[in-house]
Amino acid sequence: MSIFEYNGSALIAMVGKNCFAIASDRRLGVQLQTIATDFQRIYQIHDKLYIGLSGLATDAQTLYQRLVFRHKLYQLREERDMKPETFASLVSAILYEKRFGPYFCQPVIAGLGDEDKPFICTMDSIGAKELAKDFVVAGSASESLYGACETMFKPDMEPEELFETVSHALMSSVDRDCLSGWGGHVYVVTPTEVKETILKGRMD
Amino acid sequence: MCGKHNLLLETLASGLTMKLDTSGLESAYPVLRGVGDLDDAIQGAPAFELPNASDFDGFVKEAMAELKPAKGTTTLAFIFKEGVMVAADSRASMGAYICEWLHELANPAETSQTVKKIIEINPYMLGTMAGGAADCQFWHRNLGIKCRLHELANKRRISVTGASKLLANILYSYRGMGLSVGTMIAGWDETGPALYYVDSEGGRLKGNRFSVGSGSPYAYGVLDSGYRYDMSVEEAAELARRAIYHATYRDGASGGVASVYHVGPNGWKKLSGDDVGELHYKYYPVTPSTVEQEMAEVAGP
Repeated sequence: MSIFEYNGSALIAMVGKNCFAIASDRRLGVQLQTIATDFQRIYQIHDKLYIGLSGLATDAQTLYQRLVFRHKLYQLREERDMKPETFASLVSAILYEKRFGPYFCQPVIAGLGDEDKPFICTMDSIGAKELAKDFVVAGSASESLYGACETMFKPDMEPEELFETVSHALMSSVDRDCLSGWGGHVYVVTPTEVKETILKGRMD
Repeated sequence: MCGKHNLLLETLASGLTMKLDTSGLESAYPVLRGVGDLDDAIQGAPAFELPNASDFDGFVKEAMAELKPAKGTTTLAFIFKEGVMVAADSRASMGAYICEWLHELANPAETSQTVKKIIEINPYMLGTMAGGAADCQFWHRNLGIKCRLHELANKRRISVTGASKLLANILYSYRGMGLSVGTMIAGWDETGPALYYVDSEGGRLKGNRFSVGSGSPYAYGVLDSGYRYDMSVEEAAELARRAIYHATYRDGASGGVASVYHVGPNGWKKLSGDDVGELHYKYYPVTPSTVEQEMAEVAGP
């Protein structure tokens, strides 16, 4: 098992009509053993920007702390929140700094940019950005996730339908992966509200 | 006199003389022989072809490492007052990918065509499967054949002791060649209920409680703390089910359906096949919690 699959993870971000959804599984494991079933992978940077970090859990936590630090500095200097596109560039730069000793993480960034236009992107562990218009996935179950999202995605979904789609795609993919699952955590973000849901999943 | 050649020994150009117990591969049609299994080497049984490699062990180890048979499973069995209880999960995994859920039929009255990890050797003996699926299936079926031949030759059923010894001897002779089998043979014979653990390293242990597979530490925890000799069949079934459920919860390589079998004086009977996803919410139902924070105020655009 590779170092990226040591803790096990599953992340999806999907774009809807003036909204986005970001979802993760809840398992933290040490190879095959399950340690926790309420592990948080998705963090809020500001009201309209979320980042999910898959891969090695310790690197995910450290990277998150560094990013929160950088964003708070930015807020103090610029007196405003960072735009998602800018934040993605920041993450990419921080990851490339460690090019020859990388963080073993794959981030998934989702936010509402100018005029509340949804923005999602993912990158590999050394900062190569992949901007997508529909969905991005990461984690040990990523191949299953790609398949599930590809079949279930439709453009311009309303928040309720988007929630259903993301939940189904996540649950069916992690049910094919030994290392992720044990529940789901979904955030659906619109310009006016954030809905956080915990999904009941197979606990095996 | 049998005029059959032993192709195995002749084609080994490297000059290795491997004494494999090929009695497991005898052909089905009757062979008239004076005395029993005296000359294993001159059986003429269809044997496995071996490659002409200079480093045979290394070659086989590499080949098996590619196949990576992981003992990703949880199986358990224990003896109690009413017989033997046998239980297993149903997940088949290759590394981290879940290949298939070996679907069990929940209705015990259905035929056991889909039984995968608990193998019926004959109507009064069960074997569990952990390790390589192909290895376990083949050698269990082979064991069933040998048990039946014993019955026909001796006009009485083979004991569990005898059956487990047959299997252990075969596995021992293939030791080091990469078979991966971790099995328990459970049955009820003239001496009462019996349980043996047999593995591909050649080990054979008699005991009252065993659990095999990557999820076995978790199953042992529940099994050992809840075990009593004088349990009823329902209590024992619930203990077995619970142990498998807890193993599927903690172990990534176990999951799917927890099947429970009981071996009594009249043979084995499948008691239940429960989906562990549903078992979790049965044991730990979700209680609706009060909402802590609800933001009613909506900020304007």
